[in-house]
Amino acid sequence: MTSSAVDPQLLARVRRRIFLALFIALAVALHTLEFLLPSPAPWFRLGFANILTLTALFLYGGRAAWVVTLARVGIGSLVVGNLFSPGFLLSLCGGITATALMTSARALGGRHIGPVGVSALGAVGHAAGQLFVAWLVLVRHAGLWQLFPFFLLFALGTGIANGIAADLLLELLRSHSAFRTPVAAENGLESRISP
Amino acid sequence: MALAALLRRMTPLDRLIVLVLLLASAAAFALIGHGPRGTRVVVERQGQVIFSAPLGVDRTVTLNGPLGETQLRIRDGHAGIISSPCAHKVCIGMGQIAQQGELLACVPNDLLVRIEGQEAEEPSHDLISR
Amino acid sequence: MSLNRPLVILLLFGVLALFALQQCRDKPQSLSRSRLLMGTVVEITVLGDAPEGLEGAVTEAFAALERVEQLMSAHFSNSDVARLNASGEAVEVSPETAAVLALGQRIAEASGGTFDMTLGRLIQLWGMETAEPHVPDPAEIAPTLMDIGPRALRIEGTRISKRAPDLQVDLGGIAKGYAVDQAIEALRRAGVTHASVNAGGDIRLLGDRQGRPWRIGIQHPRHAQTILVTLELEQVAVVTSGDYERFFERDGIRYHHLFDPRSGFPARLCQSVTVLAPSAAEADALATAAFVLGPEAGLSFIASWPHAEALLVAADGRRLLSDGLKDRVKWP
Repeated sequence: MTSSAVDPQLLARVRRRIFLALFIALAVALHTLEFLLPSPAPWFRLGFANILTLTALFLYGGRAAWVVTLARVGIGSLVVGNLFSPGFLLSLCGGITATALMTSARALGGRHIGPVGVSALGAVGHAAGQLFVAWLVLVRHAGLWQLFPFFLLFALGTGIANGIAADLLLELLRSHSAFRTPVAAENGLESRISP
Repeated sequence: MALAALLRRMTPLDRLIVLVLLLASAAAFALIGHGPRGTRVVVERQGQVIFSAPLGVDRTVTLNGPLGETQLRIRDGHAGIISSPCAHKVCIGMGQIAQQGELLACVPNDLLVRIEGQEAEEPSHDLISR
Repeated sequence: MSLNRPLVILLLFGVLALFALQQCRDKPQSLSRSRLLMGTVVEITVLGDAPEGLEGAVTEAFAALERVEQLMSAHFSNSDVARLNASGEAVEVSPETAAVLALGQRIAEASGGTFDMTLGRLIQLWGMETAEPHVPDPAEIAPTLMDIGPRALRIEGTRISKRAPDLQVDLGGIAKGYAVDQAIEALRRAGVTHASVNAGGDIRLLGDRQGRPWRIGIQHPRHAQTILVTLELEQVAVVTSGDYERFFERDGIRYHHLFDPRSGFPARLCQSVTVLAPSAAEADALATAAFVLGPEAGLSFIASWPHAEALLVAADGRRLLSDGLKDRVKWP
């Protein structure tokens, strides 16, 4: 797929954009699918779309992760039909908290942290962010915090699951030449960004 | 076997993070208390509800029984019996209750006090008569 | 792998289909429609399975309400009431109007005249319905109270005659209730089994709220945004008469629309009265009578009427419950 006649930097940039667009589309599809599934209780969401955010994070870095998340929340709410509704606000704030946590974890942890750890942190951040905004804007009732331990545990579980899925996906993708980094292409080396 | 596969995909730091979060949620459980706080106090006799009131509003209620009057006090989100004509005052000794499902009882005076209800998702009323 | 994949896809589709089906089945159909009628907002809620059938039933119910309004409102110059008021001699009315007058007369009799359908002149004098109500002189009031009372009308089948030619009939304390009853009848004829009709707070329930009773909140007479108490009810009419609904203030005193026929002034013994009865017409009239009678007298009057219960809020804020209600009330 790589042609020696084309500037590898430009090629990599274009590829990155295309794949990010693909990730966003997939994330929106997962986001919408989640809305159709019956949930055990309101706000207990599985967060499948985060898998794509994680993938973008590990392949292309923090900014890419932000792009995927924000686009997913925006477009996803248009598709589902709850733009600017309370549900959208919760989704957005949860997503922002989660992505912020995930990108900082990645930046701080570097090689030591893997998709599972980042995802766990992200999921917990999402849950905490959502609950906090819900308390602030919707349900000013101390009783809401009764839910917090359950939320936390559930988020941890889904975080780990999503992390595993992301790890699998990353493994699959990295074995394909289209996802080599520009640096690696220049040096002709096969390298992985993280273990 | 699946657990081993799971652990293999996690770096040492990952495992640490997950462990810490697990402990945090355990702590959260302990702090919040093992039961959801109730919202209503319900008094029954022979299975019939004779009094019902919210836990959030302070009030003292006199409940009549075969032995006489038992006083129930609801204050600060707790309910407790403060006086009763029974011989051993076991009901007073039961102290205060607040969590859903907890009970107080004055058996000689035939009274059962229950805490029930969680935050209702349904509205408290369908229509208003004015 | 090539064997498993189609199977897995099929399975996933099956699971998705199951979820989709479940979403459709779980929600019971409920239809709510509101309209401005009889000077208030009337809301009809029906519960059931077939949405098209429900829509038709609600339309029938509104038609019934309109029909009653046309018959019994003094605002329509051709209504039975308007014709009765305009005439000095006996008038033929529809069987429905005659039935309402007959019921009203029974309640007027039983309540010692505290419910009265012939206060038209008094109401006009006070100008409660107009933009400029005023407090009349006792001298102006006296003539409006002449010839009123339970014997003021003679009902012979559908032929009504008034004791005095200038007597004015006002069915405000019973007609709305009757209209609600007719709406419920229309719903029942259309096959509806669970519904509520709410005409500005005059409520009648058909069946229960599909698996649980209807929760009816009673307006707190002094705090506008607050519920006094919630009642769990089914298959019954609930009407509340309160001094906070229609009133005007002069020199710091509030004058409301529930007049005491004995004095010609608004009754002062209660803040509000809520009556439960098998029909809304009864509940409406009984509530008016009990309001005027006051807490203790009102309570014993309600107790004497079959199948009626009441919750009274006295002028000093005391709450009184009839025996049948004592165990069914949920204080907020």
